[in-house]
Amino acid sequence: MLAVKDLHVAYGRIEALHDISLSVPGGKIISVIGSNGAGKTTLLNTISGLIRPRSGQVTLDGRPLPAAAHLTVAAGIVQVPEGRKVFSSLTVDENLTMGAYLSRRADAARTRQEVYAMFPILKQRAGQAAGTLSGGEQQMLAIGRGLMSLPKVMLLDEPSLGLAPKIVKQVFELIQEINRRGVTIVLVEQNARKALAVADHAYVLENGHIVLEGTGAELASNPRVEAAYLGVQAAEA
Amino acid sequence: MEGTSTFSFVVQQMVNGISLGAVYALIAVGFALVFNVLKFSNFSHGGVIGISAYVGFLGALHLHLPLLPTLLLGTLAGGVVASVVEFLAFRSIRKKRGQLVYFFVTSVTMLMLLEQVLVIFFGASFFTYPQLIRTTSFTVGGVSISILYILMMVCAAVAFAVLAWALRYTKVGIAIRAASNDLTTTNLMGVNVDFIVLATFFVSGLLAGLSGVLLGMAYTLYPQIGQLVVKGFIASVLGGLGSLTGAAMGALALGIVEVFLITVMGAGLSPAVIFVLMVVFLLVRPQGFAGVSFKEKA
Ligand SMILES: Nc1ncnc2c1ncn2[C@@H]1O[C@H](COP(=O)(O)OP(=O)(O)OP(=O)(O)O)[C@@H](O)[C@H]1O
Ligand SMILES: [Mg+2]
Repeated sequence: MLAVKDLHVAYGRIEALHDISLSVPGGKIISVIGSNGAGKTTLLNTISGLIRPRSGQVTLDGRPLPAAAHLTVAAGIVQVPEGRKVFSSLTVDENLTMGAYLSRRADAARTRQEVYAMFPILKQRAGQAAGTLSGGEQQMLAIGRGLMSLPKVMLLDEPSLGLAPKIVKQVFELIQEINRRGVTIVLVEQNARKALAVADHAYVLENGHIVLEGTGAELASNPRVEAAYLGVQAAEA
Repeated sequence: MEGTSTFSFVVQQMVNGISLGAVYALIAVGFALVFNVLKFSNFSHGGVIGISAYVGFLGALHLHLPLLPTLLLGTLAGGVVASVVEFLAFRSIRKKRGQLVYFFVTSVTMLMLLEQVLVIFFGASFFTYPQLIRTTSFTVGGVSISILYILMMVCAAVAFAVLAWALRYTKVGIAIRAASNDLTTTNLMGVNVDFIVLATFFVSGLLAGLSGVLLGMAYTLYPQIGQLVVKGFIASVLGGLGSLTGAAMGALALGIVEVFLITVMGAGLSPAVIFVLMVVFLLVRPQGFAGVSFKEKA
C-alpha cells in the first residue's frame, strides 16, 4: 500500500500542497480529481521523487520512498506523465526500451511482447519515430512504456487530456484492464465523471487542499462535486 | 596545389575543405551532444580540446608513442577532462536548477581556466607535434591529398560510425538520446540522470580529445588552440541546434566554404565573411540544415 501523510509541498515560498494525506490500498484504483492548478501534477511528482516535499512523507508498504526519481521506479512506482511525454525522436520500440531501463533483459523481452499484444497498433509502428504517432497512440505508448518497468503502482497524470471521446473511453478501459492484472492505480484527472466511474476510492483536490473523499459512487452523487466538476461535463456528454 | 585547370582546382579545394570540415565535425558533434541534453552552448569544450591536444603532444614527445596510441591517449584525456568539468562546474548548477545563462557563463569561464592551465605549464610559446605520419601526399589526376588529410577523414568516419552505433544500440546511448528529448521524463524511466549527463560529457569529451590531437598535428600547438571550438559552434548552429547529423553537415559546409574563402580572399578577411554568411543563412533558414527548430532553446 502506498501512503501519503501530512504532505506539504512548496515552489519557492508558495505552498502548492497543504497537509495532504491519502492512502492507496494495493490492487485498487484511486482517483484524485481537481481543476487546473489544484496541485495534481505536484502531488504525483512528489510521489515520484521529482520534487522534495517541505514536510510529510510518502511510504510504500510502510517504507519511506527514496528521495530520487530513478530510485522510486526501482521501488516499483512508475509515472505516466501529463501530456504523454513520449520520446518523440526515438522509435516506438526504443521508447519501450527506455521504459524497461532497470529491468533484466529477459523480463524486458517478455514484457515487450505483452505490451505489443495489448497494443497491436504499437507493434505495427515499432520502428516509427514516436513523435509521428497520433495523440491517442502516444497515450497508449506512454502507458505501455510505463508498464515496461513491471510496476506495482502506476501514477497516471490526466491520461484523457486532449483525446477524442472514443479514445478516452478506450484509455479508461485500458486502465481498468491494467488494474485487473494486479497494478495499483493512482489516477489524476480533470475528467471527473470518468475518473470517479472507475475509482474504488477518490479524493477531491482544490487549491492544494483535499476537500472531500469517498468511494467513486459517493463522490459522483455528492451535490458539491456535481456542481463543481460534473455539471459542465454532463452538459457536454 | 599544382592543379592547372579550374576543375582540378575546385576538386583540390573540395578535398581540403572536406578534410578540414571532418575535424570541425568532430568538434561540432561533441558540442551538439551536450547542447542537446542540457540546452546550453558549452564553450568549455574548447578547453577540453586544448588540454587533450597537449596531452597527446606529451605522449608523443616523451613516451615516444606512435600515431594510434597518441590519438587514443588524447581522445581518452578529452573524455576524462570533460567528465571532471561536468562534475566540478556544471553539476551543482543543474542541482540548483540554475538558469541556462549560468551554464553558459560557467562554460566560458572553464574555457579560460583550462587555457590558463596550459599557459602555466607550457608558457605562451608554440610547440609542434613530433613527426607521427609521413608528410608525403598522393597525387591523383592533378589533385594532391596529404596523409594528414586522409587521417582526419578516416578518424572522423570511424568516430562517427562508433558513435552512431552506440547511440542506437546501447542502453546508455538510447538514454542519451532520450535525455536529449526530455531529461525529466528520462529520469521518470528509472534512469539516473546524473550518470547520463556525465556519460554525455564523457562521450562529447572523447570527440573533443580526438579533434584536439588532429588540430595539434595540423597546426602548431598554442594554449588558445581550443578556441577553434567556435568553428564547432558555428557548424552546429548552421546544422540546426538539436541535430547531430545537422552539426556534422554544417561542419563540412563550413570547412569547404572556409577553404574557398581563404584561397580567394586570404585568411584575414574570411572569418568576417563567414560570420556574415552565417547570419544571412540563418535569416533564410533559421532552423538550419537539419530543420530542427531551436526556438525554445538558448
Ligand atoms: N515549477 C513550478 N514552479 C512554481 N509554481 C509551480 C510550478 N509547478 C506548478 N506550480 C504551481 O503549483 C500549483 C499546482 O500546479 P500543478 O501543476 O500541480 O496543478 P495541476 O492540478 O496539475 O493543474 P493542471 O490540471 O493544469 O495540470 C499551481 O498554482 C501552479 O502554478
Ligand atoms: Mg497537472
